[in-house]
Amino acid sequence: MRRAAVWPFVVLGLAATNVPLASGDDTHGGVALLTKMVGASHHFNYSGTFVYQHGLRSQTSRIVHYVNSAGGEFEKLETLDGPAREVIRNNDQLTCYLPDTRTVIIEQRDTRQLPLLLPERMGGITENYIVQKARTDRVAGYECDVIALEPKDKLRYGRDFCIETRSGLPLRSRIINERNEAVESFAFTQLTIGGKFNRDKVKSKFAARSRNWRIDRSALNVMETPAVSGWVLGSQLPGFRKLTEVKRSIAGHAGTVSHIVYSDGLAAVSVFIEAMPKQRPAQKLVHQGAVNIYTRMRDDYMVTVLGEAPAATVMQIANSLQLKSDPAAPR
Amino acid sequence: MDRISALIDGELDERQAREEFSRIKQNDELRERWDTFHLIRDTMRGECHLSTRLGVRLSESLAQEPTVLAPHRNAAKHARTYVLSIAASVAAVGVVAWVALSTNPFNPPGNMPQQVAKGPVPAAIPVSTVHPPVVVVPNLPSGGNMNEYLLAHQEFSPSTAIQGVVPYIRTVSTDQPLQNR
Repeated sequence: MRRAAVWPFVVLGLAATNVPLASGDDTHGGVALLTKMVGASHHFNYSGTFVYQHGLRSQTSRIVHYVNSAGGEFEKLETLDGPAREVIRNNDQLTCYLPDTRTVIIEQRDTRQLPLLLPERMGGITENYIVQKARTDRVAGYECDVIALEPKDKLRYGRDFCIETRSGLPLRSRIINERNEAVESFAFTQLTIGGKFNRDKVKSKFAARSRNWRIDRSALNVMETPAVSGWVLGSQLPGFRKLTEVKRSIAGHAGTVSHIVYSDGLAAVSVFIEAMPKQRPAQKLVHQGAVNIYTRMRDDYMVTVLGEAPAATVMQIANSLQLKSDPAAPR
Repeated sequence: MDRISALIDGELDERQAREEFSRIKQNDELRERWDTFHLIRDTMRGECHLSTRLGVRLSESLAQEPTVLAPHRNAAKHARTYVLSIAASVAAVGVVAWVALSTNPFNPPGNMPQQVAKGPVPAAIPVSTVHPPVVVVPNLPSGGNMNEYLLAHQEFSPSTAIQGVVPYIRTVSTDQPLQNR
């Protein structure tokens, strides 16, 4: 019986050898390490402290990741400085606890609708970046291999990951601009790999207290057919392809929002289109770490474009959006 | 309540979990659902590399296998269960492969099944076309900044697949987004 249950994995494992990889030993080694990293992030139990740095700011947080005996995945992130914040992932449900405003934000994702995000499945990575296994380094007391992804054009940021030699866990990741400066970095300062699953360690300490807090829900509408908003890019951005398109609700926003995601295999840019709010907001460009956020008005709609890409890329996507067909028009 | 989901979500206690595992072991249908669930999950994570022709090739090789006409014995029964479980897996692979192909724009177009590429364009859902009445939006939890969009975006970003929940620090970080220089 046990053997039968293992079968699909064996079959799929064999199929893996058919996937063509980019030529070049360095690239091959780099892509293989990226693949290992993605698997490790989901499979290993680990707990540790990491520092998120962007510009001159930094924030220290604690993270715990567990997989139970049934393959369920649980994660907890809590900030250690500044106002308390917690993010809990329980498989497909993500919950943010914001105690200072007594708010809980729940984001339910629908795995059936989630696109394949992963680097090794995407020709996009080697098409748009030069992947190189650069050197070895040491982070949080562990030896790690540095994989550098250098963008082939200015439409995207560079990356580097320091991947723990044995487990494959990412110990540090950085997003790098064209001046070779890190716009953002995540790095563990302490990490314990392994440990036994403990449900209590991935529960929110606000779980009981938050019963009478305000709850905001974001959700994707579950639809059998892909949503077609009628919005398209007038000019395609090289290397970026449409990953998905959904109708959804967004916590704290009235009405339905069209959400279109473009990706080059590593970076993603989201486009949100919604009815113009009563108070017409100003056009603006802001950023949070490596994520640039651009808001503009287009006819009767408010368009918000954001992603871990240079401001020019985000704005270019926002500016080339066109309403191709009126979704209200009968077909 | 779907007990397989409950098991994976860790909602069963140890005794219930053990019972459920043994139910899955004994029931082909449950095992198939279990396999499918994990296949989809692993595919989402990119841990299985699906060849578009995998299902076809497996069916072909299964078709070429000689049919066992010998009277039923224990060994033959085992063989049958075995083949059935392969068939079940192939069916699951088919579903996953379709999901993978229909949602993965990075698949070279040559590999894309035609019906996916040329499928009828679904009509817009009428509900979405009605402009929602203007409602006064309640105070945003984050003080009106962009964190809700960031949160929504994060689910689709490859960085989430790579680093799990770590990049969500952006969305709950107490820093307000900065004006671009």
